[in-house]
Amino acid sequence: MTEVTTTIQNKTGIHARPASVFVQKASSFKSKIQLKAKGKTVDAKSILMIMSMGLVKGTEVTIVADGPDEATAASELQALIDSKFGEA
Amino acid sequence: MAEKIKGKGVISGIAVGNILLAGQNLDGYLVNYKPGRKDTEKKKAADGIVVVAENLKRSIDDFNEKGLKEQAGILEAHRMMVEDPAMSALIDEKIDESGSAPKAVLDAYETQAQVFESMEDEYFRGRAVDMRDVGKRIAKHLLGIKEPEIVGKVIVAGRDIEPSVIAGLPTDKIAGVILGVGSTTAHAVIIAKTRAIPTVVGVGKGIEQIADGDPVILDGETGEILIRPTDKERKSYDTKIKKQEELKAHYAELKDKPAITLDGKEVELVANIGSPDDADAAIKNFGATGVGLFRSEFVFMGKTDVPKEEDQFKEYKAAVEKCAEVTHGEGLCVIRTMDIGGDKPLPYIQVGKEENPFLGYRAIRISLQRKDLFLPQLKAILRAGVYGKAAIMFPMVINVQEFLAAKEFVEMAKMELVHEGKEYSDTVQVGIMVETPAAAVMAPILAKYVDFFSIGTNDLVQYTLAVDRGNAQISYLYNHFNPAVLRLIKRTIESANKEGKWAGMCGEMASDPNAAVILMAMGIKELSMSAPSIPRVKERIRNITFTKAKEILDKVMEMEDGDKIRDYLSTLS
Repeated sequence: MTEVTTTIQNKTGIHARPASVFVQKASSFKSKIQLKAKGKTVDAKSILMIMSMGLVKGTEVTIVADGPDEATAASELQALIDSKFGEA
Repeated sequence: MAEKIKGKGVISGIAVGNILLAGQNLDGYLVNYKPGRKDTEKKKAADGIVVVAENLKRSIDDFNEKGLKEQAGILEAHRMMVEDPAMSALIDEKIDESGSAPKAVLDAYETQAQVFESMEDEYFRGRAVDMRDVGKRIAKHLLGIKEPEIVGKVIVAGRDIEPSVIAGLPTDKIAGVILGVGSTTAHAVIIAKTRAIPTVVGVGKGIEQIADGDPVILDGETGEILIRPTDKERKSYDTKIKKQEELKAHYAELKDKPAITLDGKEVELVANIGSPDDADAAIKNFGATGVGLFRSEFVFMGKTDVPKEEDQFKEYKAAVEKCAEVTHGEGLCVIRTMDIGGDKPLPYIQVGKEENPFLGYRAIRISLQRKDLFLPQLKAILRAGVYGKAAIMFPMVINVQEFLAAKEFVEMAKMELVHEGKEYSDTVQVGIMVETPAAAVMAPILAKYVDFFSIGTNDLVQYTLAVDRGNAQISYLYNHFNPAVLRLIKRTIESANKEGKWAGMCGEMASDPNAAVILMAMGIKELSMSAPSIPRVKERIRNITFTKAKEILDKVMEMEDGDKIRDYLSTLS
């Protein structure tokens, strides 16, 4: 199991478009991936679960990946969040 | 007479068409639906999801092909909501309860919509619409309902319009959009904006007065909506539309031409902005040759902590670069330091309750006492200066001492930057807003120290005449042509020119074409205004001689009554 923690940095948080980019990326891995934030844990491959967490700028999130490609999954998803999804 | 309702115009332009009410009611269909066995319904729901996702995929590809990235992105999110693993589980649960696949789908997405509605962030609350939209899309497919056929141009109206309704209609069919809710971040509004569809939001209950198929006229600027207009009303708008189009075409022609008088005197017409994006629009759409006032407040608002130098640097750099790009490196970007006070308190600026915040602890008065706020801002501007031409402007200065103290902070900022090994520009101009009568009176002295003046007329008029423009009972006294105000302005401009410095204006007066004539004659170098006003002012300047403008100024300075001055100037245009 691999765990990494980072902070949401794009201005508008994880709204519909970033969430869809994130879920697409998460779905491309075989590992089971979960996202933890604000005391909740959800399936990172479900856009609704991700969106309903209300991840606004400044929220700390932890990515937990478990499976054959867990290390790549965790680091690539972290990099995606850190890139602000190409937004401001 | 037509019925009239009013909302807030968010995308300007006039639209004429028949109403297409969005937000179809499915109740009737649901009652007539004959469900099968539970596992048949579950299979039906699962198959329906696959088909709807495929349909969405086709629309997404279509949008991408046309380069409509925004719409494609929204529908992509919808497609993922349709295929969401968490939703299929919830739908199955709901089928166990009600036995009907379409009802279960609606219930499941409604449940999820309510989760969004209960969230704190306004953006996420707004996404409840997307949820209901997706649910309805699947339910309609399961119920075998086809999308309505559209004949001619329509104005789409609804309390809250599902984004797919707008995204799904061809651009040339939608003349306008009317929303009951007031949200400007609704996906429907975002889509309308990218397609420049005239839009009015926030009509509230007014939406109930509109029926499907009603002919309406919508004004996206004033927010006015005429329902079932008479022929006469329609005709009056015909001329308005025609005029609007002619003017637009004429202004477009003016865009790249200089603001120069018939006898060759040029004035810079630049923009007041609140963000780097505004600069881009001002330059591209309205021909601004730079930025005369970048209100840096937005960097400070909505933050819980002091904004970081690095974050500010990025915003300022973007604006400075935009100005440099278009005007071959000559476009100046004047950035005003924080102008905040007790009227808009922030978590990290404790102002306390004041009797009169406009005469209180605000703007430069705060900056000079708060090194932790002031230095990062100055450093960010100095660094942005490397990417073009930047200027620093201090608001609310009343005396030489304040300016000198602020200037010392600039030197301190430079020293820190040297120390930190960060690149900065040493040629960033440093000037002040002249918006207090004290600064205008002291202009001959201040001019020796500053690089430039920018006259802020909104406050200068208010402070000089002791008139609160928001007070309806006395607002008749508020007039930028008041002789006392004109004398202060003239004195400020002449003082700058005498010392070899320059003077500009960034208040509302700068966007008044009649004022532009006399300001030019006083020797102003630059007029800064909200970008859409630029073509009007330019038109006026291009149609007069400098000699004539000076004659007009001489006459105006002999007049004693501000109202008469205003009337006189308006007879000339």
